[in-house]
Amino acid sequence: MKTTFAAILGATMLTAPIAYADDWPTRPLTMVIGFAPGGSTDIQGRVLANVMEQYLGQPVNVVNQPGGGSAVAFTRLMNVEPDGYTFLFGGTTALTFTPIITPVEYEIDDFEYLASVALGQNAIVTSAEQPFTTFDEIIEYGRENQMTYAQQTPLDEAIIGAIAEQEGLDLAIVPTGGGGGMAPLVLGREVDFAYSGGTHAQYTPTGEMVVAAFMSAERSPFYPEVPTLMELGYDFAIEDYRSIIVPQGVPEDVKDRLISAAEFASESETFINITEGNTFFPVVFIGQEEMETSVRRIRAATEEVMAE
Amino acid sequence: MDFAVIGTAAAEALTLASFIGIGGGVLLGYIVGVIPGLSRSVAISIAIPMTFYMSPYIAISFLIGLSKGTAAGSAVSAILLNAPGEASSAATALDGYPMAKQGKPKTALQVGLIASVMGDILATIILIFVAIPFARVALLFGPYEMAAILAFALVFIAGLSGGSIFKGLAAGGLGIILGTVGLDNQTGLPRLTFGYTELMDGMPLIAVAIGTLALSEMFIQSEKLRYERGTMSVAMKKDPNDRITWPIFKSILPTILRGTGVGTFVGALPGLGPSVGSFMSYGMTVKASKDPDSFGKGNPKGIAAAESADNAVIPAALIPLFGLGIPGNVSAALLIGAFAIHGITVGPLLLRDSPELLYSIFAGMILASVIMLALGWFGLQFFAQITRVPPHVVIPIVIFFCLAGMMLQGYGTFGLIILMGFALLGYLMKKFDYSFVTFLVAFIITPMLELNLRQSIILSRGNWAILLDRPIALFFIACTAVALIALIYRTFQTDKAAAGAPVSE
Repeated sequence: MKTTFAAILGATMLTAPIAYADDWPTRPLTMVIGFAPGGSTDIQGRVLANVMEQYLGQPVNVVNQPGGGSAVAFTRLMNVEPDGYTFLFGGTTALTFTPIITPVEYEIDDFEYLASVALGQNAIVTSAEQPFTTFDEIIEYGRENQMTYAQQTPLDEAIIGAIAEQEGLDLAIVPTGGGGGMAPLVLGREVDFAYSGGTHAQYTPTGEMVVAAFMSAERSPFYPEVPTLMELGYDFAIEDYRSIIVPQGVPEDVKDRLISAAEFASESETFINITEGNTFFPVVFIGQEEMETSVRRIRAATEEVMAE
Repeated sequence: MDFAVIGTAAAEALTLASFIGIGGGVLLGYIVGVIPGLSRSVAISIAIPMTFYMSPYIAISFLIGLSKGTAAGSAVSAILLNAPGEASSAATALDGYPMAKQGKPKTALQVGLIASVMGDILATIILIFVAIPFARVALLFGPYEMAAILAFALVFIAGLSGGSIFKGLAAGGLGIILGTVGLDNQTGLPRLTFGYTELMDGMPLIAVAIGTLALSEMFIQSEKLRYERGTMSVAMKKDPNDRITWPIFKSILPTILRGTGVGTFVGALPGLGPSVGSFMSYGMTVKASKDPDSFGKGNPKGIAAAESADNAVIPAALIPLFGLGIPGNVSAALLIGAFAIHGITVGPLLLRDSPELLYSIFAGMILASVIMLALGWFGLQFFAQITRVPPHVVIPIVIFFCLAGMMLQGYGTFGLIILMGFALLGYLMKKFDYSFVTFLVAFIITPMLELNLRQSIILSRGNWAILLDRPIALFFIACTAVALIALIYRTFQTDKAAAGAPVSE
C-alpha cells in the first residue's frame, strides 16, 4: 500500500503543472506501438511521432510492444498513469474484434479514442498471373474449381467463409501468420487469393499483385476502380482507424493538446507523403466524438459477423 | 548493368560522410554483438530513429553495417566467455570456447573474424551479381518445400548433439512444446498461455536464447569459480604462436566457402534465419570432416563454419527483399520500415526507379565488410582484454547485460522471471547433459514448421500425390528420412559399444 501511495503522490506531483495547458508537455512523451518495427503501423507511427514532436515541443519516443495483434500493448496501456504522457498509436481492431474471441483483460470502455489520422486498408488480393483479377471473376472461377484462400485473422476468414458458403465455393483456407507470410504465397501462386491488411501497397506498383476488392467500407483513393465487398452485394466490411488512444482518466486540456497535435500532423506534408505515398493509407482526421461512436458501432457489427 | 551509374554510386559510397556513417554502424553493431544480451533486432530498432537525420543511402548502409557488425561481434563473447549473445553464435561457442581455453583465444577470434568477413563479402557479391535477377527462384520454395527443409533441419541439427537419443528426444520435445505457446495462427485462440497476455506471441525468443545460452553459462561459471578459483578464466597471454597462420587459413578456406553457400541458401529463403544457417553449416562441416570427433574440442573449422554462415545470411536475406520485396528475416523486415520512413518502397522497382541508390547501398555493404575486417583485426586486442578481467568481475557484468537486454524487450518484470526460468532450465540441461542446442533449435524451428506443415496439409487437401509435383520437397523429405535412420543407427551402435560385451539373455 505504501508503494501505491508513493506512486499516487509522485503522479500528482508530476501532473500538477497540467493546470497550465499551454505548458504541457513538460517532459518527453511515449508513443506505444502494438506491432514490431517495420510494419505499416510502425512506419506511420514513427513519422507521426516526429511531426507531433514539432507541435508539442517535447520529444515523442516510440516504443514497440508487439504481441497478440496489439493486445499486449493495450493491456499495458490500461495500466499506465493516465497523464497523457503515454499514448498508443494503432488500429482499432484489437478493441473491435480481439476481445470477442480472445480472453483479454481490457475492454472498449477502458480507453478514450482521441483522434484518427488514417483509414485502415483491408483488401482481397490475388496474383496478376492468375486467370482472374476481379472479385467477380474469382467467384466465377470458384464455381467450377477448388480454390484456396490465405487468411490473416479469424475475422477475414469468417467473412470469406460466409461468402464462399453463399456462393457455393469449395474453398480451403490457410493461415499465414501476417502480411510478410502472405506475399510469397500469393506471388508464388500457392494460394488463389488472400487477405491483405496493407501489405499490398508494396506489390501493386510492380503489377505483380492486384487488388480484387476492398473489405473496407469505402473505396481506396489509390485504387479508384476497385469496388468494395459492400458494393458487390455482400453485407460485410472491416473498418479500422489508425488512431491515438489513451487510457480513461486523462485531464481534458491534455487530451485537447494531443488532439490538436494529431490534427496538426494530419495536415503535415511529411506525414501525408509517407502515409499516402508509401503505405497507401488515406490520411483523414476524425475527432474524438465520432471515433467513440465508430469503435462501438464496429464492435457491434463485428460481434454479429462472428456469431454466424 | 549501367557502368556510369555504378561509377556515381561508388563515388558516393566513398565520401567521408559515408565512411563515418557506415563505420559508426559497424562499430556500434560490433559492440552490441560483443555484449551478451543485446541482440541484432534490438540494435536495429533502437538505431532506426537515429537514421532520420541521415541521407537514405547512409541510413540504409548504416543499418546494414550494424547488422553485419553484430554478427561478427557476437562471436567474441561466444569464444571468450562461452556466452553467445544470439542463438546464431551458439554454434561458434561449441569450438571457439574450447580453443580459447587451450591458450589460443586470439587464433580463435581471428578465425571467427576472417570467416565472418569472407562469408559476408562473398554473399554480398552473390547478392549483387547473381541473386537479384534470380530472386524469383525463392518463390519455388512454397509451403511444402519449406516444411520439408525445416523438418530436415530439425532432425539434422538434433543429430549433431550426440549422446543418448532419449535425452535428445526429451530436449527436442520440450523445445517443440514451448515453441507452440501463443495464439493459434489461424483461429487466434490462445494455446498454453495460462492467461498471460505477454505469452500471446509465444515464449519470447530473447528470453529463451539469452537464458539457456548466456545466463545459464554464467551460473555454471560462478559455480566453477566457487570450486576451481583461478583455473577457469581464459588468459590472453603474449604467445607469439597464438595467431592465424597460412596453413590454418588454407585448412579453413573450404569450410568458409561451404558456410557461405549454406548461409546464402538459408538467407535467401524467407523465414529461416541465421540460427538455422549457422547450425546447418556446422553440421555439414562435421559430417564432411575425416575426423568428426575433433569437433567440440577446439577445431578452428567449427568456428569458421558457424561464423561464415551466420554472416552470409545477412546479405542473402536482402536477395528476396530487393528482388521481390519480401523480407528474408526479422532484421530485413526492420529494414523495410527504415526504407519506408525515408520514402522508399523496397522491392524490384528500386532497381528500375533509383538504381543509383541501390548500387550505392551495394558499395556501402562492401565498404562495411572492409571496415569490419579492419575494426575487428585491430579491435581484437582491445575486445580480448575482457579475458584479463577476473571472472568475479565479468560474471556479474554479463548477468547485468542479460537482464538489461531482456528489459529492453518491454516485457517488464514478467520477462525477467521468464528469463530466470530459462536460465535455470539451461543450467540443469548443461548439468545433466541434455543438449541445449537441440532444445533451442527445436524451439526456433517449431513455429515455422507448424505453419508450413499446416499450410501444406490444407492446400493439398490431404492428398499425398501432390508431392509428386514437388521434387524439391521430395528431395528434402528423403534427406530427412536418411538423417533419421542414420541417427537411430548411430544410437544403436553407441548403445552396443557402451554396453561393452554383449549381454546375453
